[in-house]
Amino acid sequence: MPELGRAALVVCFGLALYAVVAGFWGAHTRRRRLSRSAQNALVAAFACTIVASAVLLVALARSDFTFTYVAQHTSRELPTPYKLASFYGGQEGSLLLWLLVLTGYSTAAVLLDRKAGRELVVWVVPVLGVVAAFFSMLVVFVASPFHTQLANVDGAGLNPSLQSPYFQIHPPLLYLGYVGLTVPFAFAMGALLSGRTDERWIVATRRWTLAAWMFLGVGQLLGAKWAYEEVGWGGYYAWDPVENAALMPWLAATAFLHSVMVQEKKGMLKVWNMLLVMLAFSLSLFGTFLTRSGVLNSIHSFTESSIGPWFLGFICFVVAASLALLFYRLPMLRAKTKLESLVSREATFLYNNLLLVALCLTILWGVTFPILSEAVRGEAVTVGRPYYNFFFRSFGLPLLLLMGIGPLIAWRRASLSSLKRIFFGPTVFALAVGILLIALGAGSSLPGLIAYTFSAFVAATIVLEFARGTAARRTLSGDSVPRAFTSLIARNRRRYGGYVVHAAIVLLAIGIAGSSAYNTSRSARLGPGQSLKLRDYTLVYRGVTNTRSANAIEERATIDVYRGGSRIAVMHPGKNDYPVEQQVSNEVAIRSDWLTGEDLFLITEQVNGNGTIDFKAIINPLVNMIWLAGLVFVLGSVITLWPDAREEQRLAIRYGRLARAPEPQA
Amino acid sequence: MIALSVAAVLAVFLLYSSIAGGGTPSLRPSSLSGHSGKVSVSGVVLKPVTGDAHGAGLRFRLRDKNGTAAVPIVYKGTVPDAFKAGGDIVVDGRYANGVFTAIPGTLITKCPSKYTPKQTT
Repeated sequence: MPELGRAALVVCFGLALYAVVAGFWGAHTRRRRLSRSAQNALVAAFACTIVASAVLLVALARSDFTFTYVAQHTSRELPTPYKLASFYGGQEGSLLLWLLVLTGYSTAAVLLDRKAGRELVVWVVPVLGVVAAFFSMLVVFVASPFHTQLANVDGAGLNPSLQSPYFQIHPPLLYLGYVGLTVPFAFAMGALLSGRTDERWIVATRRWTLAAWMFLGVGQLLGAKWAYEEVGWGGYYAWDPVENAALMPWLAATAFLHSVMVQEKKGMLKVWNMLLVMLAFSLSLFGTFLTRSGVLNSIHSFTESSIGPWFLGFICFVVAASLALLFYRLPMLRAKTKLESLVSREATFLYNNLLLVALCLTILWGVTFPILSEAVRGEAVTVGRPYYNFFFRSFGLPLLLLMGIGPLIAWRRASLSSLKRIFFGPTVFALAVGILLIALGAGSSLPGLIAYTFSAFVAATIVLEFARGTAARRTLSGDSVPRAFTSLIARNRRRYGGYVVHAAIVLLAIGIAGSSAYNTSRSARLGPGQSLKLRDYTLVYRGVTNTRSANAIEERATIDVYRGGSRIAVMHPGKNDYPVEQQVSNEVAIRSDWLTGEDLFLITEQVNGNGTIDFKAIINPLVNMIWLAGLVFVLGSVITLWPDAREEQRLAIRYGRLARAPEPQA
Repeated sequence: MIALSVAAVLAVFLLYSSIAGGGTPSLRPSSLSGHSGKVSVSGVVLKPVTGDAHGAGLRFRLRDKNGTAAVPIVYKGTVPDAFKAGGDIVVDGRYANGVFTAIPGTLITKCPSKYTPKQTT
């Protein structure tokens, strides 16, 4: 069996190489059959990767410990879902998953986007081939998941902290996001190579970028929720390099999604869009590199890792090659129009982009600073949470405000009177909310207060937009309100889906501001019968119980929760002790108040011999808005992604026009 | 356009150096002496681990990852699940008179690298 897996990957590598060589040669010499054959090679590479993945999955399911990978990452008594999820529990399998998702995306993109123009697609194929060749080279020669050994009696098992349902969904979503960014990158490179630098590559990849961006966003939120529930320190994001690794490409992709609209409408920002898509893709490679090479521990462990140098080399190659290509095509990328006014839709898009990219780059700087300082001075200097929080506020809050302004302001040039008319209502509303919040005592945190005032402003603009649109449809069609509302969204999916996503970001901002700026916590050592007061909660400690489960000793404290004189809950924060893995894990207790969106978060930090516990209680106001934001985010993304016959028609007409128009020479 | 973005990036760096002024040096136990300010130290926890993190303080020695030099550490506050003798940790604090006094609640464990990609903390 391992031979089959190995052989499939070798064939996959060969096919990817063939797709590169035949693809470039076919596109260069305009041999249609050669290009078609390169395309087929990519599809076949996908089939090979499926075979290899199936071999690994079967081995995992059957606990075939002759596979070193299976022995290292699973054990016999591990439940089957976790056995299968261990596919990406280690380095080799993760790389195989990258390759699987990549070849899958490539196949779909090449087959579905043929209508984007053959001249473009023939150049996209070899670019995808290069990336596929790199990853298949890694799994064939450097980090093969099919190493064999003499079978162990049992495997090493899966880290208990990974044994969570989130482990089954969070990593695959992140991979779908990371790898998905390859598609817009490949089309951008295809556009540069072919000389078809009009906006067709953008139109062809809009949905791919959106899908990848959605997966990356949801994947991160699920990761945050996982951390919140499992790790047990009361927070959900710690600016850890591994978390930042996923946030950076998401920010770059967010900037890209916005700026391509300017190119579509106005033919501006062509070079910028190319740079952004290169940045997003390089960051997704860089993220994989960060999490995979061990560079985070120290530069020295990086040089010991087998794939680190390869990855760094490939990232350098991608950046250098794509920049060189961009410079070569620079003359073709001149903007058709110029920015007319600093108060216009285009300009707000520009500000939004600068802020997003600046935030992304400051995070990148924070992540790489320890590595760079260690390389230069021999002493790693880390930047801490204050650094990230400072930049997150200074760039994030203006971004939040712009989200309310940008979508409503006129293209080209906005007049003062129109600004007054549009923004008077939302501004008044936001100020009223601000004053109300100060009266309620929210002035304790200035960033929090600003975040809420801005959120109110953006929320008001979004509601007004929906109301205005619905009213307009009603006068046009005479429909009832719900019908007018749904047909409004159905007829302008991109616009109103976008608003829904913006609403999700408002919810996210409310949740983040609430839980980080207004949280309260207390800790104490409690004996049985003693209590701790936290705001309006009274927590009474009753005692500790010990039970044995299949693979752990479960220690649970019993806490009675009183509010307003009556007992509202009994909670059991505790710890699990895994004797085999020699690990302890915190099992926090969380009580969500669905009315106010706040969480009561209890942690048993330590159980002492004399029956006392060291206990910590946290109130996280509005934290549940963050998870709600995730649902709204998916809803909005799906609305914008949904196939739209009207849009297809418009595009078909446009492509027809473009095809007839004389093309610039390649 | 490009000039604008370059200016923005430059502004970022200026802001950075003006507010943070360099961040926290992260050191190995063997290179602690001579640093009196706030630093973060990383290394391997040595047995025995004594004391009480929620009382007078948890006491243990921290050794260089590749070496034998070690310093005594006193720590109070939350102890992460994965903390154990033989594990890799990072902790912030100040070094004086041969003892590293940690800032409460700053102890973080470093996960074995093969798990890093999936751990979101």
